[in-house]
Amino acid sequence: MTLTGVAARAKPQSKRARGSALGPALAVPGIIWLLLFFLAPLYVVLAIVFGRTDPIFRTAVPVWNPLQWNPSQVNYVLSRIAGPQGIFGPALVRTAIYVLLAGLLCLLLAFPVAYYVARLSGRWKGLLLAALIAPFWISYMMRMLAWVNLLQDDGLVNRLFSLGGFFDVRTHWLTGQPVVVVLGLVYGYVAYMILPLYAGLDRLPQSTLEAARDLGASRFASFWRVTLPMCRPTIVAAVLLTCLPMLGDYFTSDMLSASPKTAMVGNLINDSVQSPGQTGQAGALVMLVLLVAVVPMFYYVRVTARGDTAS
Amino acid sequence: MAVSDRPSPSRRQFLQRAALLAGGTPALMMFLDACAKGDQTSSSATSMKVASPDKPVTWDIAKDNEPIAAGLAPEKATTLQLYSYADYVSPDAVKSFEEKYGTTVQVSTFNDTDEAITKIRAGSVDYDVFFPSYDQIGKLVNGALLRPLNHSYIPNIKNVWPVFTNPFYDQQWRYTTPYTVYTTGIGWNNTVVPADIGALKNPYESLWDPAYKNKTAVIDDWHTAMSMVLLKLGITDVNTSSADNLKQVGEQLTALVGATSPKVTITMYTDVPTGQIGLTQMWSGDIINAQNYLPEGGTAEVLRYWFPADGKGLVDNDLMVILRGGKNPVLSHLFINHMLETESARQNFKQIGYQPPQVSMSPDSLVADGFVAENIKSAIVRPEYYDVGYRILELEPDNDAAWHNVWRAFKAGGS
Amino acid sequence: MRSPVAWWNDPWRPPRILLAVTFGYLAWSLIPVLIAVIFSFNDGRSRTVWQGFSTRWYFGDATKSVWHDAALHTALLQTLKLGVITTLITVPLGVMFAIGIDRWRGRLPAGANMLMLVSFVLPEVLLAVALLFVVTSLPLPIKLGTGAQVLGLVTFQIAYPAVLVRARLATIGTQYEEAAMDLGASPLAALRRVTLPMLLPAIFASTVLVFADVIDDFVLVRYLSGNSSTEPVSVKIYNTARAAPTPALNALATLLLFAALLAITVGYLIYRRMTRGDSTAGGGIAAFAGEA
Repeated sequence: MTLTGVAARAKPQSKRARGSALGPALAVPGIIWLLLFFLAPLYVVLAIVFGRTDPIFRTAVPVWNPLQWNPSQVNYVLSRIAGPQGIFGPALVRTAIYVLLAGLLCLLLAFPVAYYVARLSGRWKGLLLAALIAPFWISYMMRMLAWVNLLQDDGLVNRLFSLGGFFDVRTHWLTGQPVVVVLGLVYGYVAYMILPLYAGLDRLPQSTLEAARDLGASRFASFWRVTLPMCRPTIVAAVLLTCLPMLGDYFTSDMLSASPKTAMVGNLINDSVQSPGQTGQAGALVMLVLLVAVVPMFYYVRVTARGDTAS
Repeated sequence: MAVSDRPSPSRRQFLQRAALLAGGTPALMMFLDACAKGDQTSSSATSMKVASPDKPVTWDIAKDNEPIAAGLAPEKATTLQLYSYADYVSPDAVKSFEEKYGTTVQVSTFNDTDEAITKIRAGSVDYDVFFPSYDQIGKLVNGALLRPLNHSYIPNIKNVWPVFTNPFYDQQWRYTTPYTVYTTGIGWNNTVVPADIGALKNPYESLWDPAYKNKTAVIDDWHTAMSMVLLKLGITDVNTSSADNLKQVGEQLTALVGATSPKVTITMYTDVPTGQIGLTQMWSGDIINAQNYLPEGGTAEVLRYWFPADGKGLVDNDLMVILRGGKNPVLSHLFINHMLETESARQNFKQIGYQPPQVSMSPDSLVADGFVAENIKSAIVRPEYYDVGYRILELEPDNDAAWHNVWRAFKAGGS
Repeated sequence: MRSPVAWWNDPWRPPRILLAVTFGYLAWSLIPVLIAVIFSFNDGRSRTVWQGFSTRWYFGDATKSVWHDAALHTALLQTLKLGVITTLITVPLGVMFAIGIDRWRGRLPAGANMLMLVSFVLPEVLLAVALLFVVTSLPLPIKLGTGAQVLGLVTFQIAYPAVLVRARLATIGTQYEEAAMDLGASPLAALRRVTLPMLLPAIFASTVLVFADVIDDFVLVRYLSGNSSTEPVSVKIYNTARAAPTPALNALATLLLFAALLAITVGYLIYRRMTRGDSTAGGGIAAFAGEA
């Protein structure tokens, strides 16, 4: 089925050949859309990042010609990451820590749940799966708002901890507590991890796992040495699918803790984008996050591409 | 994906592609350059008049931006677009306007004025009436974003304090009318914070007191919050351009985060009455508005407010302006006139808590008339405050940038 | 049902800890939502203290209920509008893209495929900021508002149908289409009359999923919104949450939840009906949820 060498290019495409013009014709609108509205806007971001600032309004003025690009805004952002003027550094480090913690917690939570539903739930599989998918269709904002209410000083969580009046628990959950923000991230994104894990675990051949048990491995050993390695690509894909979008999150910190103590890089971007004189810097931060995420992103693409051919 | 055996491009193809790229790119650049929005490449003025009480400013009216003619009929079958803070225009006053002129009104909200101006300047929106503060007026006029007023549509100007027919930031009230007057002080909930903050030697310092950790907040507005820090330090020039002062402000803000970990928000009017926030920098209108957001069974008794009795604190007023991008200039004028009517102003006061500068509403009568509870009567704004108070003014662009940098460092949670 | 003791002693039952974690997770995940739905029927203004049952926030209250408050209407209408328009554009585009890439060999389609997968995992705020810059810097006919929001949403969602359809194509294999072509059909006819009907379940599933994802979207629609008539429910909730929310907000979200649940249920039932007897449609809900 592969087109071999120059001969294939020279031969006119017959209707029978799978490489007929139909394929490109169908794909082209999608490709054009992605180029126009995904790739091209990234160039506009570059034009603004390397552009100028209007002297009076301090709004960003894009500069289209790369030869006239002015790196001062990028330098400003980069110089503020580390060192004596490192005002962005803590937020970047904080983002990395929160995302890693949240990703880990998500995995610790999602894997058992996915494993149970995929392999051990028997009759209840359909119902449980529906319950797992349910968070997708419930407004994310509403779920967060529900938590804000529960976590207020006089909310249900404190009342629960007070055990009906035995203690007087009035913990201030909503004032800049990193724990609350990390748990909020987990709450919001764990559903995105469960489904890919479920799909991957669902496909594991039961026969291989049974063979391991038959050959004498204990439950734990067969899990650790057979199941886990087999679903490694699934885990990697699921973790990336969940953690990469988390990098841009700002509203979790906004809603659950309106405090600078838990500001993430998404907050930096959000606060600067429409602030006079800081739009270009927001763009620089956007490019920074993109660069940092690109390597895992390409890794994810390779993992799924290989997964495509493997299945 | 199957391995592709596509042969590498021949030399001719390579040269063709390179030529295309080399020829096409400059053309693309020139095209984009020409395409870019014309008015974004440069401003008409390289410097900007900055108004202050010592240097009052009369704004020019450009030839292509004359006020609308008098006596026009209001637009029909249209929606008047208002752009203001959330919960800042009373629904009842809006409704009575809708009924009077048979039109619909839609309110869009912004979280801070920087964001609002950026959106307006981008030109993608068609708001009619905007509610800024006067520290944006220079930018708005210089950017040709405002429509000058035709005073014949707004006879109700006679209802407001006389000073506003010739304020320092807009002599002859060519572009603005006043909306509300307010002070910025400290508000607290008596059950969460029983101490009498007002009796302290330097009440602003209480926000740095570790005893109130996790119970405090500051206003999410760079100029307001940083001015408060300056006043705490005893520096009365709240528009300072001294790098030294700004450095001190930065240090104080860092200390603030370490001492009490405040929230940075504008939700004081809902959080203080419920006790979610105990002690906070607060606008006077917010503490009055808090009376409307008491929890079930709560009383206004818990609310407290402090502002220097001699008036030497932050005093300001908000404006109503008409945006040039709006499609309903006549209705905009009529709306402004409507809001300056005494009846609507009283309705507005009741529902949003911010005091209108109405001549008929003397500060001493507000408690008796039931607008303001006795224990927060220090939130009432008196005309005398404006003689001695400190005003938040527009800053020169460089100074503006310096201030914003300090604020951003604070909000990034950095050192 | 066996007795609990028998269940406890059953040596073949799944590990207790897995059970505990699963049900604990489900409770943690769904209880706040249950509470939000319950409080939408609250009689008073509070969203934390139960004050009696009433439907005032749905249609009773003359100014603030969802039925009477124009701002809440507009939000609901905008959400549904965005959902429908985006889905109508995304699904055909994504499906055609998937089929096209599948048939086309070479570096260009490989690159396009990579681009599409990257758009799948990109943090949304990056795309939102980029498009905001585009709309505000270039004199395009699109202004901030529904048009810009649709553009952003389609770009963000196009990977969904593409991934689903590609997975299904991989499962189906090429034999049916090749058989059709052997019997004399042109590639286009083979596509139209053989492959597309087999893809219908995946197309339908992706329609429902894209719709549900769009009506819940927040970051893109907020950055690209114009005035408040183009703010959908998610942005309304966010704005009001930081001001003074009433249970009308809960009512709004509950209505939206029911709309989404309805869409999903109807979609799943139709999907089940379509794949009756279709041995290549494996996985049930998993395939429906579209994980490759």
